[in-house]
Amino acid sequence: MYGDQGFTIFDLQLWAEGLGITFGVFLSSSILGLIFGSIIGLIRYYNIIGIGRVLMLGSEFLKNSPVLVQLFLVYFGIPALFTIDLSPVEAAIITLSGNTAAFIAVIVISSIDAIDKKQLEAARSFALSEWQILRLIIYPQSLAFAMPMFVSLAINQLQVTSLVSVIGVVDLTRVGDIINQRTFEPFIVWPIIGVTYFVLAKLVERIGARLEQRFSVHQASSEI
Amino acid sequence: MIEIHDLHKDFGDLKVLKGVDLKIKPGEVVSILGGSGSGKSTLIRCINGLEKITSGSIFVDDFDVRNKKDLMEIRKRCSTVFQQFDLYPHLSVLDNIALAPINVLKQNKKDAKIKAMELLRSVELEEKASVYPAQLSGGQKQRIGICRALAMEPNYLLLDEVTSSLDPEMTAEVLVILKKLAKEGITMISVTHEIGFAQEISDRIVFLDEGKILQNLSKDEFFSDEGGKSDPRIAKFLSKMGNQ
Repeated sequence: MYGDQGFTIFDLQLWAEGLGITFGVFLSSSILGLIFGSIIGLIRYYNIIGIGRVLMLGSEFLKNSPVLVQLFLVYFGIPALFTIDLSPVEAAIITLSGNTAAFIAVIVISSIDAIDKKQLEAARSFALSEWQILRLIIYPQSLAFAMPMFVSLAINQLQVTSLVSVIGVVDLTRVGDIINQRTFEPFIVWPIIGVTYFVLAKLVERIGARLEQRFSVHQASSEI
Repeated sequence: MIEIHDLHKDFGDLKVLKGVDLKIKPGEVVSILGGSGSGKSTLIRCINGLEKITSGSIFVDDFDVRNKKDLMEIRKRCSTVFQQFDLYPHLSVLDNIALAPINVLKQNKKDAKIKAMELLRSVELEEKASVYPAQLSGGQKQRIGICRALAMEPNYLLLDEVTSSLDPEMTAEVLVILKKLAKEGITMISVTHEIGFAQEISDRIVFLDEGKILQNLSKDEFFSDEGGKSDPRIAKFLSKMGNQ
């Protein structure tokens, strides 16, 4: 009968694969989100060609609408609009990257705002170029401000990856669902899945704490 | 030589500088005095291009402040010391001083740091080299600010109310250094409230009032009863600032 076949060694393999997918989706969307979010934040800060406002509007939409809706929009919308095939994993990474980028952009802008602007004037008065000011003064200081926010965002986005199971990505949550449906042992399966997320989150937190320490304001880039 | 012709600077409807003409020769120490809102700081900020001039012209060693390329050259030649120090909080004292020499003058890192260390020694702060600005007193920060400006080996030192944020004791420690520099022959343009200091170091005093130069006199003339003090506005200003 369906649902009472007990656990097998293959469940462990399935779990490991799900973990790999979850982590892969998380990592790639975090990196892409960081890159695009930073670009959006900088465009807004320097108000390049006046598109900053438009980008921020987009990022407001991504921040204030359900990720699941965004996921459906990308997974079903993009193939329909551009007549291209999109695998569930691709759709998942695109969606989460966009969503992460929206939050990163806001963090980047607020972190740059937190810097005392008069020191930038001082730097300008010493003939440093805008690029040098960005690289040597704005970047290290705003990174120190941003780091704790980046870390809590990362932990949040890790949990959000579980939504991608809905469009058929076989991530950790989907694996839990598959094993549960077969074994009917929800009180074994879901705690294990939950603890896996928990351990992953703790790992991210640990790494984040290290980075925070490394980039704390007074230590940041003390070598010039 | 700094040559300012008919300089106007507006902030929106507010006209801050209304036709300033001023020449500063190499080696001169010029103090710019005037009440709050007279445009003193704005004048200095126009020289290093931190404020865009509305009309008129400023030439520093024949470089035009309105030309972007020239402005960079002007900024290499004019170093500014700021009222609020404006040090880089994420860099050690030594790196604060060496940042521009390394990145703008393209000095070798090691040489720049050795030179920064020498400057620190000259202001008796060498033991603070690896400390961050947050751990310094105001007077110490301003001495670092002076080192940071001097590290660029500027032709002109622009001092923008450098003691206004300091208590009298710290003011004294900063003024000692500036007096020494004035004697060494560096060209200085100093916006200040410290009449005594202006009197001590300046060759020339420029009195700014409502965006115009009211008097531009040698120091002795300015402080004489027949000279500057014969002008009621200046007499009033000086008496208010505690100089009889």
